[in-house]
Amino acid sequence: MRVKLLFFATLRDRAGTKSAEIEIPDSTSVQRLKDLVARDYPGLKASMETVLVSINHEYAFDDAKVPANAEIALFPPVSGGSRES
Amino acid sequence: MSFPTVFFITEEEINLNDLLAQITLPTTGAAAIFTGMVRGLTKINDPHETAYLEYEAYVPMAEAKMRQVAEEIREHWPVVEGIAIVQRVGRLYPQTPTVLIACTAAHRDNGVFDAARYGIDRLKEIVPIWKKEVGSNGEFWVEGEYIPRPGE
Repeated sequence: MRVKLLFFATLRDRAGTKSAEIEIPDSTSVQRLKDLVARDYPGLKASMETVLVSINHEYAFDDAKVPANAEIALFPPVSGGSRES
Repeated sequence: MSFPTVFFITEEEINLNDLLAQITLPTTGAAAIFTGMVRGLTKINDPHETAYLEYEAYVPMAEAKMRQVAEEIREHWPVVEGIAIVQRVGRLYPQTPTVLIACTAAHRDNGVFDAARYGIDRLKEIVPIWKKEVGSNGEFWVEGEYIPRPGE
């Protein structure tokens, strides 16, 4: 199945794009998805150590399966608020 | 009476008075407000000057996680009446407020300060917002360290 990926912050800069589509087998795990993304985007390989993955706006962990038609995002640990806060 | 919860990402100036009005009930007697702003001059830990910060958010997820932070506040501090959580995004210059968390309650001495403190701490852990700093040290993304756990 094809899934849409969204990249944010450093991941977007390193991927060179805000979003992408990739082909993955059914029942692909989040860990496997990360491997496939690193294969297609070598610039993201180093980021995969600390990347956070969300599926349909919830954090997803390595063992989770990617469902069909999911909105998947990859991004670094968050840094909102302000410098001091 | 239902308790108001206001949360959003905005590119506009954060309007404290408007937000306070939205979370003030007839029973409200206290509000604890935290706001963080862009610091132009950093004096400790790698002293440097900041020209501006560029904030971005994954908006639908950020707003969903803000709602979750508000729910967690209500679980821990049932005395909290209104909650406002707002993050401004875009290019923000020194001395500009970037984020605001406000909690209201009947009285000040029942945990409302802690509730607001918890709100900003959690925002910085689980709400998908990032900032790029541009200044005398060059241009770099500021990355957090928190790795959410299952259920967060």
